[in-house]
Amino acid sequence: MSSRAGTTPSTYSPSTQKKKPQKPTFNDSNGVRSDGRGFYQCRPAYLKTGAVSAAGGSAYAEFGNTKVIVSVFGPRESKKAMMYSNVGRLNCSVSYTPFATQVRGQGSEHKEYSSVLHKALEGAILLESFPKTTVDVFALVMESGGSDLPVIISCASLALADAGIMMYDLVAAVSLSCVGPSLVIDPVLEEERWQDGSLMLTYMPCRSEVTQLAVNGEWTTPKIHEGMELCLDACKKLAGIMRSCLKEEADSPSIQ
Amino acid sequence: MEVDREDGRTATMLRPLACSRSVLNRAHGSASWSQGDTKVLAAVYGPKVGTKKTENPEKASIEVIWKPKTGQIGKLEREYEMILTRTLQSICILTINPNTTTSVIIQVVNDDGALLPCAINAACAALVDAGISLKHLAVAICCCLAETGCVILDPTKQEEQKMKASVYLVFPNSVLSVLQVSVTKIDEPMEHGIITSVTHGAMSVEDYFYCLKSGRAATAKLSNFLRSRLQNRLPSDLLGDT
Amino acid sequence: MGSSNASGDISADMEIDAFRRLFPVQFYERHFVKSLRPDARTLNSARDTSVALGAVSSANGSALVKIGCTTMLAAIKMEIMTPSTESPDEGNLAIEFHMPPICSPLVRPGRPADAAPVISKQLADTILSAGMINLKELCLVSGKAAWMAYLDICCLDADGALFDAALLSAVAAFSSLRIPVVSLNDEGRVFISEEMEEGKSKREPVNKEQRKLTLSNIPFSLTCVLHKNYILADPNAEEESIIETSVTVVLNSSGQLVSLYKPGGPVLAYTAAIQDCVALTKQRVQELQIILNEAISDMEVD
Repeated sequence: MSSRAGTTPSTYSPSTQKKKPQKPTFNDSNGVRSDGRGFYQCRPAYLKTGAVSAAGGSAYAEFGNTKVIVSVFGPRESKKAMMYSNVGRLNCSVSYTPFATQVRGQGSEHKEYSSVLHKALEGAILLESFPKTTVDVFALVMESGGSDLPVIISCASLALADAGIMMYDLVAAVSLSCVGPSLVIDPVLEEERWQDGSLMLTYMPCRSEVTQLAVNGEWTTPKIHEGMELCLDACKKLAGIMRSCLKEEADSPSIQ
Repeated sequence: MEVDREDGRTATMLRPLACSRSVLNRAHGSASWSQGDTKVLAAVYGPKVGTKKTENPEKASIEVIWKPKTGQIGKLEREYEMILTRTLQSICILTINPNTTTSVIIQVVNDDGALLPCAINAACAALVDAGISLKHLAVAICCCLAETGCVILDPTKQEEQKMKASVYLVFPNSVLSVLQVSVTKIDEPMEHGIITSVTHGAMSVEDYFYCLKSGRAATAKLSNFLRSRLQNRLPSDLLGDT
Repeated sequence: MGSSNASGDISADMEIDAFRRLFPVQFYERHFVKSLRPDARTLNSARDTSVALGAVSSANGSALVKIGCTTMLAAIKMEIMTPSTESPDEGNLAIEFHMPPICSPLVRPGRPADAAPVISKQLADTILSAGMINLKELCLVSGKAAWMAYLDICCLDADGALFDAALLSAVAAFSSLRIPVVSLNDEGRVFISEEMEEGKSKREPVNKEQRKLTLSNIPFSLTCVLHKNYILADPNAEEESIIETSVTVVLNSSGQLVSLYKPGGPVLAYTAAIQDCVALTKQRVQELQIILNEAISDMEVD
């Protein structure tokens, strides 16, 4: 190893000396995961609206170690270069803080998540209620602890509701990992690393409509069925929590 | 109190000043300013139609583009751009040409200490050369504080690096006006007011005020020099209402 | 000034919100005369400030700071580097200030805010020249390995006085920093020692005792905006947009002036105004010191 002199020396993050390629052990007999949850149990969710005063609407979501903030701006003037449009536009952007992941990142935009977020929300919003203008949905992942994307989507839907953007229903999102023979819902980072397949479902419970379904990896048809049922059930519960969060905010006396 | 400087100057002595105007023929106004071996070229374009970003229906806006001697523009240059923009905005009469943008391009020719003050002086001379209406002129100076507590003015790059702390100050030039200036409540003369202050390094509060005093004393000389350079080109009868 | 007279006449039969939008300066001046601000603060008082340490579990040190609505999240990640030949026994700091699009309607993705690099630079200057951190403490093996501390500060909500909040969050993140215990392997690479399993740690940790940094001369800052003869401490975003002259004073805990930053602005700062700003900052330093100490003791209790 030669020493490198320069203004910006190359750095590395120290890792643990012992390699541990062990798979997380799932004890099928009692069905308990590394963090003490059951296979079909989600992490406790903390949701709060109105986290950012500068935004038109905002929400903060914390699922275990996954912490996300979403701000909504608009409806506001579209970019000058945009063509005339009868319906409103939705613009989504997801970015990570440099310290969100275990290894320090660049804190740049996550293009893939941005487009998935856009697709998941598009179907729920009454775009024709704000013609010619744009609604911007910006998400920042402060800490990544697994199942980032579903948390971002649920949080964004809550922020849109906080901003008073007309929607058909709240969008709740839940993901599920297939690790070996078992299905685990709302996986943490370590479980995601070892997954053989994943499934994410975004759902509007009041209308019983799925806005997006993403399946990765190898699945058998009965497994997909089982997974979908689990996700649908979890989405309904999550939507209930989101709804009560909004109600609480509305009931609390914040008289001007 | 005496301090030995490599070029034989006393502590409060400035390096030789030089200023020439209209050095570039395509720009609406330009000036080159040098203090010893530090030399900066400033060009002014405008007032012209602004871009969407800078446009303001009530005020003219000023943008500053910093061109370093070599390499790309970094954080330091961005900070200089911001300081210059806000300093120049404060001396220009912005209500005259609303909805326009005036660009000031600063090209560093050589950096031998006190770069930002030198650039501010150059920009000020270039604005006058372009005929942009100003409230008053501004002069900038760099004061350095040595470990011993004495202040030296207009340091070279070598001196700047050796010093404990440094202060960049910008003061207004006193207004010569035929109009009766209304008596202000402040008991200090206008040229004692600070337009811009930027410091580097830790110092005591008293030391800062000491720098301020030394800086103010030296600006009279700078102001006179700047004024004399601008006078050469102007018919004397126009002078009164700058 | 014709407009000020005109506004004085119509203000009586105009709604307050309309008056505020159309004649913001006059609206504010009416409050100032009564030594008040529209958000019910007095001219010299700062907004409520809170500090929470250890907000990010994936970082080695972190802090969440709120000054009024302005929110900053700072986190430090420690990495290993080979020190430069000029200073073989010193580590290094890299400070970066981010304004993600969530923080303000003015920031759009892909187009970074103009203010971000300027504040980054100011923060780095301030922290290094205040003498808060002894870079020698970041050394592990002289000439071979040293810590590089990456401090990233994210603005989550921009409501004025960004530099003050960013500096406080940086200082708080450093005071919550816990350096991992590491040891060296045969190739000269540094690994995290595992204290948990006994018998397996064949190698002696290189930094057994050095887990915390000693922070001396901690810098604290206060931004004031100047309007005519009024000095307003800790402006919010609306005040900053209306009153363009700002003065940021940074003092360290031993009373030294680390920075006095006034970038232009239409109001000239005379000696008396500067002295007032410094005096206000002195008061604020004491307030912030108490808030920070409380946060530190709260963390140690947990």
